Formats: sequence, structure tokens, C-alpha cells
Amino acid sequence: MKRYGEHRIPGRLFVVEGIDGSGKSTQLLLLHQWLRAEGYGVVFSEWNSSLVVKDTTKRGKKKKLLTPSTFCLIHATDFADRMERNIIPLLKAGAVVLCDRYIYTAFARDVARGMDPKWTRELYSFAVKPTLAFYFRVPLEIAMKRLNDSRNGFKYYEAGMDLELSVDPDESFRLFQARILEEYEKIVPEFGLTVIDATLPIEAQQAQMRQLVGAKLAQAKQLRVAP
Amino acid sequence: MKETYGVALPGMNLGDLVGKLIVIEGTDGVGRSTQISLLKEWLEQQGRAVLDTGLSRSGLAGKGIKRAKQGHTLGRITLSLFYASDFADRLENEIVPALRAGFVVLTDRYIYSLMARAMVRGLAPEWVRNVHAFALKPDATFYLRIGVDDLIPRVVFSRGFDYWESGMDLYASEDMYDSFRRYQSALLEQFDKLAEEYKFEVIDASPDPRTVFEQLRAGILGVLLGEPQPVKGDGAPAGVAAPAPVDLLPVDSSPSPVLVRPEQPEKELKL
Repeated sequence: MKRYGEHRIPGRLFVVEGIDGSGKSTQLLLLHQWLRAEGYGVVFSEWNSSLVVKDTTKRGKKKKLLTPSTFCLIHATDFADRMERNIIPLLKAGAVVLCDRYIYTAFARDVARGMDPKWTRELYSFAVKPTLAFYFRVPLEIAMKRLNDSRNGFKYYEAGMDLELSVDPDESFRLFQARILEEYEKIVPEFGLTVIDATLPIEAQQAQMRQLVGAKLAQAKQLRVAP
Repeated sequence: MKETYGVALPGMNLGDLVGKLIVIEGTDGVGRSTQISLLKEWLEQQGRAVLDTGLSRSGLAGKGIKRAKQGHTLGRITLSLFYASDFADRLENEIVPALRAGFVVLTDRYIYSLMARAMVRGLAPEWVRNVHAFALKPDATFYLRIGVDDLIPRVVFSRGFDYWESGMDLYASEDMYDSFRRYQSALLEQFDKLAEEYKFEVIDASPDPRTVFEQLRAGILGVLLGEPQPVKGDGAPAGVAAPAPVDLLPVDSSPSPVLVRPEQPEKELKL
């Protein structure tokens, strides 16, 4: 069983992290398009998408069955399935893998929900260490404004309503995300995440990402090109 | 006071868990569920409220695990974490509330089975221990021990070989019989190590069910009366000696009001 940082595999793994409304998914999509145009064999993997576990997570959320511990464990199960079934085999085959959210999301959210930080980190110690992990740093107010403009209302767990911080979903979201931001700030130095200023224009952020990713890919010798 | 194996879950108060948590461990086909239904009936006759629970029975993850196992597509880490999710759900929603209400909780397997399975599949012991560190330490763990040679006829002549119980995900190139032998032997080896580490009370499961039941009953009575556990099973696997003579109705002399039902004739065991 290999631990974080012990895998030696030819592929490259890039992940984006940040709170909702930080713009990380947009940036990853733009990076994906660029890598495809460059001819790399690129695969995209989304948080919370394992087919085997999805029904259970969905049920748990819909019926509000999840506590901080089961929320944490069921997401770890989902992540493990994607790791064992997709991410590791793809990286072994020399693919470039892109992940929208990674273990740092779990560290931030689960610890914000009261889970033990050390325990949670050990739980995910089977994860492959990313080639680069980008953290999109954004002030809470800007993220909330972006979210308010683009959709109406927050979902129950997204707003941390299970923690009973406030009966008002907007207020609960604000309090919960503030806790998550606090956790991310601990994670950034601990795991050496690459910080991107998410208040900059989209193109400027993307240019930074492409430069950093490009440098890592130039060093890689055994990458798979798209068929 | 109850405690965990090192990690507390958010919002879980361990201060008022007055019930008893009793674990029945043992490999597939050893007769755990037979014993648990006998024990439940007996305890209820003694006036004790009983909750029985077991792996993959959670409202949250039970169905998901069963469905996933039918596809035979789970990786070992995924399988391990899926079961841990199921366990956490049952711990918070069944076991702890029942203990708080003063129930005797009889659990058919516990984290030890999950740990043994994970370690047989090559997962790192430290990682496995950490995953399950939020579990409550039970008041007692009775390990029904049997050798592979005694186990095989029970399985053959009752339900036959099962894909997962035969570890076919590990030894796919062999037939189910060979695979079952290898897998169950590896599991037993893990159980023996865990028995030492976690101080299980080892009970020889090869005699007839009634003999096994009598031993379990004596052990559980000890727990309920707060008596010190008889120290047994010093790595005493295979031939755990003939059962020590057990007083069949020790409740007669019991000072505990809940347990005193001396006029109750002993019920015929249907085995």
C-alpha cells in the first residue's frame, strides 16, 4: 500500500482547490482545452462521482442522513473508488489527469465539521501526491457575490446546514465557508499548494496556470499523447 | 466510562453510555448468528433489552455495499471505507443511542472483522487501525474460533461457497474451494493476532452449538455482573480446551435484581 508521495508513476496529476465561487472549475476547464489542443492524453475526474458510491451519497444527502463522520467516510469511499479504478491506472498508463477538488477539499470541509485533523489526513494517505495543486484564494464576499449572481439558493450540506450554525441558509453558508477558508489557509503551507489570486482577470490566472503546468509537462518523458 | 480507540467523533458524548457493548466475532460460517439469536432470547428472558446489529445493516450504506459487491468491482481501499461508513452510521444511529438507553448491544462482528479483511488484502495495518480508531472499545469480545478443516463441512453442507467469503477477488485463478481455504486460513491468522492485541475471549466453536452457547452465556453473565473477565485464550487457538464446567443457572445466586428470575425453567434450546 503506497502512501502519499510514494507513488512513482509516469503520468502527471493536476488538481484545483478552493471554495465554491473561487472560479477553480472554470480555470480547470480552460486548462483542459489547452492540454487537449496540445495533444496530450488528458482525463478529467470530478469530486464525488464514483458510480459505485454515488447512490449512497445521494440518498444520504437527500434524506439528511449524514453526520460529520459519515459525510467524511462516504466521501473518502467515493474518492478511494476513483483513485483505485481511474486515477492510479490512468497515471500508470502515462495520462495527464485533472481533478476538480482533491483530498484538500476533504481536509478543509471535514475538519470544519469537527473531524479530527490528523485522523482525516491519515484516512486519505493512500492518495497520489499531485504534480501541482492549485489553490484559488478568494475573499468570501467576492465568492458569495459570484454565487448569488449565478444561482439561487444553497444546498443543505453545501451551506453546512447540518452544523446548525444558522437557520438562514445564506448566513449558514457564510459561516461554514469562513471556517473552510480558515482550514485551507492551514493546508496551503502544510501541503505546498500553489496559490493563485482568484480576484485577477480569468485570462491572467489561466496564463499563470499554463506556464506552471507547461514547465512540469516539459520535464515528463513518458506521457501518453491522445490517439 | 466508555472510550474509543483514540479518536472522538464530533458531538458524541461518551459519558452516559450505561449499556453493555458485547461483540461476537468469528469467521464466515462459524455460527455467530445462531449464537446471537440464542443469546438475545436468553437476555430478554432475563429482562434485559437487547439490540442486535451487524455489518452492512446501516440505513445509509447497507444497500449500497450489497449492490456494489454484486458487481465484484470494488477495490480493497474502497471496500474497506464503504464498510467503515456503514459502521459509523450504525455506531451513531443505533449502537450509541442503545447504550445510552441501557441496552445490551450484541454485535455480530465488529471492526475486527473489517480490519482482518483489510489486512488480508494487503492494506497497511497502521492505516487500517486509524480508519477504525473512532470505534467504541467493547465491554467484551467473544471470538468464536474454528479451524479451516472444521469450517469447510459447515459451509459445504449449508449455503455453499460465496464469492467474497472465498476471497475470489484475491485468488481469482483458483476454484472456489481452494480459494476459500487459502482466504479463510489467512483470515484466521489475522484474527489470532487481533485476539491477542485486543484481548478477545477465545471460545472454541467446534463443539455443538449448545456447548458454545453455554460458554458465551457464562462469559456474558460475567460482564453484566461486572465481574472480572476470566483470563483465557493465551494464544490458545486450535485446541481451546474442553469448556470449563459452567454453572447453568448462575443467576440463582445473583445479587442483581435485573437478572433474578429463579423460577424460570430453563427453556429448551432449539438447535
